[in-house]
Amino acid sequence: MRRLSVLILGILCSVSVVFAAAPEKGSDFQEANTCYRTGDYAKAASLYAKLIEKEPSVAVYYYNLGNADVRLGKLSAGILNYEKALILDPRNEDARRNLSHARGLLEYRVDDSRNWYLKATGEVLRYMTQREALLGVLIVVFVFLLSGIVHFLTGRALFWNAWHKFIFLLLLLAGLVAFGKHAQRDLFRDAIVMQKECEARYGPSEHDQVAFRMGEGIKVFVMDRREDWSRVLLTNGESGWVKNSDIAEVEI
Amino acid sequence: MRKILFVLAIFLGVLAPSSLQAEDVRVTATLSKRTVRVGEEVRLNIRVTGQNMNLQAPRLPKLDGFDTYYTGRASHIAFINGVSSANVEFSYTLVSQKAGSYTLNAIEVPVGQNILRTEPVTIEVTGGQASPAAASPVPAANFPQQPLPSSVPQQNVPQGPVQAVSAGGDDNIFVQAWVDRKSVYQNEQLLLTYSLYTRYDTRYEGFDKEAETSGFWIEEFPMEREIERETVQVNGKRYVKADVKKLALFPTAPGSYTIQPGSLKVSIREEPQGSSAFDEFFSDSFFTGGSFFARRQNRLLNPPPIQLTVKPLPDEGKPEGFQGAVGSFKVTATLDKDKVKQNEPVTLKLVIEGEGNIETINRPKLPELTGFKTYDADTNSKLFKTGNVIGGTKSFEVVFIPKEEGSAFIPPLEFSYFDPRKVKYVTLRTPNFPITVEHSDQSFQMPEDLSGKEIFQKQVKLEAKDIRYIQERVSQSSALFDKVYLVFKWGDIVLLLIFAVLLLKDRQERLFSKDEALRRRKQARSVASANMRKLKKLASSSKSENVGSFFEELERSMTQYIADKWNLSAYGVTRQSLEEVLAAHFGAADPHLKDVLELYRLCDESRFGKGSIPQASKKMGMKIFQETVNRIERMRR
Repeated sequence: MRRLSVLILGILCSVSVVFAAAPEKGSDFQEANTCYRTGDYAKAASLYAKLIEKEPSVAVYYYNLGNADVRLGKLSAGILNYEKALILDPRNEDARRNLSHARGLLEYRVDDSRNWYLKATGEVLRYMTQREALLGVLIVVFVFLLSGIVHFLTGRALFWNAWHKFIFLLLLLAGLVAFGKHAQRDLFRDAIVMQKECEARYGPSEHDQVAFRMGEGIKVFVMDRREDWSRVLLTNGESGWVKNSDIAEVEI
Repeated sequence: MRKILFVLAIFLGVLAPSSLQAEDVRVTATLSKRTVRVGEEVRLNIRVTGQNMNLQAPRLPKLDGFDTYYTGRASHIAFINGVSSANVEFSYTLVSQKAGSYTLNAIEVPVGQNILRTEPVTIEVTGGQASPAAASPVPAANFPQQPLPSSVPQQNVPQGPVQAVSAGGDDNIFVQAWVDRKSVYQNEQLLLTYSLYTRYDTRYEGFDKEAETSGFWIEEFPMEREIERETVQVNGKRYVKADVKKLALFPTAPGSYTIQPGSLKVSIREEPQGSSAFDEFFSDSFFTGGSFFARRQNRLLNPPPIQLTVKPLPDEGKPEGFQGAVGSFKVTATLDKDKVKQNEPVTLKLVIEGEGNIETINRPKLPELTGFKTYDADTNSKLFKTGNVIGGTKSFEVVFIPKEEGSAFIPPLEFSYFDPRKVKYVTLRTPNFPITVEHSDQSFQMPEDLSGKEIFQKQVKLEAKDIRYIQERVSQSSALFDKVYLVFKWGDIVLLLIFAVLLLKDRQERLFSKDEALRRRKQARSVASANMRKLKKLASSSKSENVGSFFEELERSMTQYIADKWNLSAYGVTRQSLEEVLAAHFGAADPHLKDVLELYRLCDESRFGKGSIPQASKKMGMKIFQETVNRIERMRR
């Protein structure tokens, strides 16, 4: 029992050490916001871009840069930045709304003909980051290990009773979610068409026939990548090869 | 009730002796007039009076100079002091064809097994034509026109030749679906009538398939309990005609339309041709239920489609506030009070009344009012179906809440409609109501009778779409998340190590619990190490009494280690057995064995106090013990 108390105390101490006060954001951010407010969108965009270079994992910078891009008429860049903001902060309602608004201004649109369960799974996974999915796994593993340790220390026959079965199931579920998120982020990488007109071909060369054309801002999934070409998949089931310079992957 | 009585009468008639029936029954024939002109009609009634009767309509004998047809029957049954009496009257219409004196011979009326006869009747037909009103209103093409009874109404007739559309090739029964006009304005009323023409005893059983009237707003006229019937001639044949259904249609958009009238279901009882073909036309069974024991045949009647054109409302002269009302209307408006306080409601009631599609009329638009808040309070409509016209009243209540004190006006509301008869737009205006608004400190509140009703609250509407504003604060939640993530990540690593150690220990414990010798062998070194630390403490002491304790402990530790390693009893082990075990493993000639034995001797000396033992002996003893442990540990590997 004494050993258990020491263990818990140790964990609490480490938590308190890790939780230090967050630093305040600098004046560059305020300046960028002021530029946006006064209508100097170009300067605001360049300041937000600099902030992103310094701190690439702050969702608000991407969101604000997306707004500045849309105001400047760069729809594809705006959409790309909204998508990036949503990777870091997937439940940012403003980013979702603005992304939807920007998509409504596009010349092209693609129907979503995926099965309902793929759509539903995709939507659910889009409401969490990859790290959140992993945190879920870590928490369940933590509980799993802690209960195992308690069992060894107290000698209580905890193992493989209903509680442990439940934790094991949770572990499985969390693992599945984490894998799904991994698949969404790393296997089918999202990308945005950046060119005004983009030709998707049946093969990775100029000699191959054009399969379909897309406009800027269209979201695609990158299935394969070569030196200059990427194979992309649309939500309507069509796939084709596009030049790497025509698209930008949604990655931080 | 009549039907029940009639069935009862039939039942009693079956039970009653036939001889009695003939005795108590009287038959008379009467004419409405004895002298007529050519082409004029005269009504013949054959009245049968008796106790109980189940009668067929009598056949008229051939009467030269007249067209005859059956126009119906009427029954009356009474029970007085337990005695029933019945009175049945059969009606016929005779239309004179040429001048002369004619005698209608005795008409035979079968009553039970007997046949009763009327008295012969004479009638004079004078020369000269009857008035045009007696002419047939049904222009029947391709067959000789014949006069029809003047009872046939002059309105609601098909605008064109009636074509017999037979049911399964039988032209004795058909349905004509027709509209009163082939060309109407948008939202102007159109009357669709289904006329059933039959030469059978017919029962109308409703629609098998409703009409397809997409593009029309429909109001159905209720069917009267007693459907009006008339006798008409089509293609030289006499039919009983009845309008079985009437619909008011309001076309919602201009264009050419084809109405599929659907199909009607009827059941008929076939009768031979001739005057008796109309035998039961006007019996109680017609359109209501049929003869009780009659065998009937079902028919589906499919009237042909109807083509019509809907004209758009003219653009010329269309008022600004016109909202599509077509017909003929009038407007009245009342205000519930003319003196109110600030923020108190005053209600304007507007009533629009007239002929037309009253349900689709919208409230006239309110002008922009700066000094008032306005709410739609209530809307009611009542529909009237008078004759063949749909009309009604629709009332709107608008609540005005004045915001400022002083004199104000409830401005006139304009209601515009298109009058299809005059082919022009008409605009009606409500009066300008002046009101006096008194000062009040009470702040605005939704009137009690309106509050809580969602429909009276104004809807918040999005006026434009744009992106949402930038976010000016960086959320700290991601930093917090990073820390939580880090805690669980390292926590998991630490817990995993602890878990692994505990798991290994647990497995070891399980093994040791099954094999005690293994436990002693595995733990011998660690026990010996612990003893060695203890011995070092004792060796460092300079007190002479501790020398004995040291060697006592050294002997015990050495013996325990050797016993643990070879699973000997730690308490029952003898010096002899120890020597044998060590000799067996080290070899009898091994110099270390001699050292071990020398150590035991030294321990004995210390225990029994034979002379003083030098301090250096402690170190030598420790060394021998250490070396023994090392050698045995190496051996075991």
